[in-house]
Amino acid sequence: MMAEIPLVQMRNITKKFGGVTALLNVDLDAYAGEVLAIVGDNGAGKSTLIKILTGVYQPSDGQMSLAGKPVAFSNHAEAIEQGIDAVYQTLALADHLDPAANMFLGNELTRKVFGITMLDNKRMREETERVLLERLGVRLKSLDASTESLSGGQRQAVAIARAVYHEGLRVLVMDEPTAALGPQETARTLKLIEAVKAQGLVVILISHSLDDVFQVSDRIHVQRRGQCVGVVKTSNSNVQEVLGMIVGAEEAA
Amino acid sequence: MAIAVSEKPSITERLEPYIAIIGPMVMILAILVFMGIVEPARYFRATNLNLILLDAALYMPMAMAMTFVITQRGIDLSIGSIAALSAIIMAFLIKQYGFSVYVAVPIAIALGAVMGLINGLIITRFNVPDLIGTLAMDLVYRGFALVLAKGLVLARFPDFLTDMGRGQIPGFVPIPVLIGLATMIGGYVILKRTYFGRYTVAIGSNPEAAELTGISVNRHKVYAYVLCGACAALAGVMLTGKLNAIQATSAPYFNLHVIAAVVVGGTSLFGGRASIIGSFAGVLLLSMMINALVTLRIEFFWQSVASGVVIISSVALYTWMQKKDRDGSNRFLSGLKTPEGQKMLRFSAALIGVLIALLAVGALFAGDPNPSG
Repeated sequence: MMAEIPLVQMRNITKKFGGVTALLNVDLDAYAGEVLAIVGDNGAGKSTLIKILTGVYQPSDGQMSLAGKPVAFSNHAEAIEQGIDAVYQTLALADHLDPAANMFLGNELTRKVFGITMLDNKRMREETERVLLERLGVRLKSLDASTESLSGGQRQAVAIARAVYHEGLRVLVMDEPTAALGPQETARTLKLIEAVKAQGLVVILISHSLDDVFQVSDRIHVQRRGQCVGVVKTSNSNVQEVLGMIVGAEEAA
Repeated sequence: MAIAVSEKPSITERLEPYIAIIGPMVMILAILVFMGIVEPARYFRATNLNLILLDAALYMPMAMAMTFVITQRGIDLSIGSIAALSAIIMAFLIKQYGFSVYVAVPIAIALGAVMGLINGLIITRFNVPDLIGTLAMDLVYRGFALVLAKGLVLARFPDFLTDMGRGQIPGFVPIPVLIGLATMIGGYVILKRTYFGRYTVAIGSNPEAAELTGISVNRHKVYAYVLCGACAALAGVMLTGKLNAIQATSAPYFNLHVIAAVVVGGTSLFGGRASIIGSFAGVLLLSMMINALVTLRIEFFWQSVASGVVIISSVALYTWMQKKDRDGSNRFLSGLKTPEGQKMLRFSAALIGVLIALLAVGALFAGDPNPSG
């Protein structure tokens, strides 16, 4: 299942904020078609690591490569251009707009009407319906309703659809996607993650919920106090072991 | 694996998006019924209906533009002064400098746009809150108008201008009504079909998300104020034509009147919820209400009481509706059954009762058909 060369390779990533070292010599590999979970306590450096990957932060030291080619991003837009996008916990949706408007927000499809550029709402709706169904297996009961009337899982689907609509997308980072969801919506979100993975993308999942992580991930990267304390194959591990790594019990033992 | 949801939306759920329009429509109906009982002969005369439309037409361009400003979580309190100042300058250009009216009118509208641009830049560049920034600029623009015109009343303008303000296409509607409707339709197209309209809703709905998707939030805020300024100037031009006169103190209550119309039409002061059709209905409602007060010979000053009551009750109603949204109970009727819904209902009933009582008292005491002055 896994390719020989990791699609994403991070080597010796170090990030310092003034005198505070948030990350120290962290390595991360992620292969196409896998879900890599990143777990760790608060302050373990999960978010910092991800923000470096998505170009929000720049590393103080270390290298990154994408499909074997060295890359460096000076902002988030450059990372998106290279095929790395993130779905944020807050989803970044405008609740009063319909799902199609949200999916194309900042990137609208247009057509000329008497020489004037107008938004092509019909085509955006059709595309949204197509992307949701074909790529995520989601059908909304109405594309006219505002996004705020959708369930948590459906909102998640719209946010993910926005990311995967970009043809060159290779890596999708999901930051705590299930944090605010009930059990049923969580199950739906995990299905969405599997759908994205099935298309050969890398999904990097940050989560506090080990239940979710064990349900959906292929490998688990454990962070503690700014360092990677180990990467385990999900199928060869269990919650106790990972929990032990998170809190540092392994070392003490 | 498909996450299909097949349940049909209930009737109340399907009605909900239209409540913005239903609100003012119900109030319009209430006024119609009330006036139909109390003063049918004078209220429903063709000349009176024409008066209502003429009054409403003046506010339509501003209500359209204000819908964009308010949807972006902004507010523009300077439109009355912008209207007065640009109309005064236009009047001077025509009367004193011999400008053609066809040149002076576009100049006035362009000046309004520039004043809107100044508002927008003050708010976005200097980070002055919308409320304070436009309130202060209201004073500034009004001050300039007073400085320019002193106490002068400039009157008697070319036909083109009076046509814009009160002209009538024989057997059809007044020309200003056509102008007003055209701006409303234009506003609807802008809201639904352009980047600016789309981003306006996005900015009001979730400014952080808008910023994150690469939308230039500040630029679109400035656009909204420019539109508002231009429309205020257009209203100033129409007002000059309607009265065939203009002075520095003209158009004093434009801002609150327009904001009341927009808010009663369902555009949320908290941003994101825009309704051009609602604003149109709101403008009609306010004009009908004020005309009703006049028809009943209730003192002019009660108008401002009525406008205030309309603003408070509609904002309270929509806030309550939004709160219900957050609670997650999606049904409008079930929302009404909660204790707070009951409180809200009683409050609205009391307000409507007071309004009707006021109208009735006015009708009783003002029965003398002879004009007082």
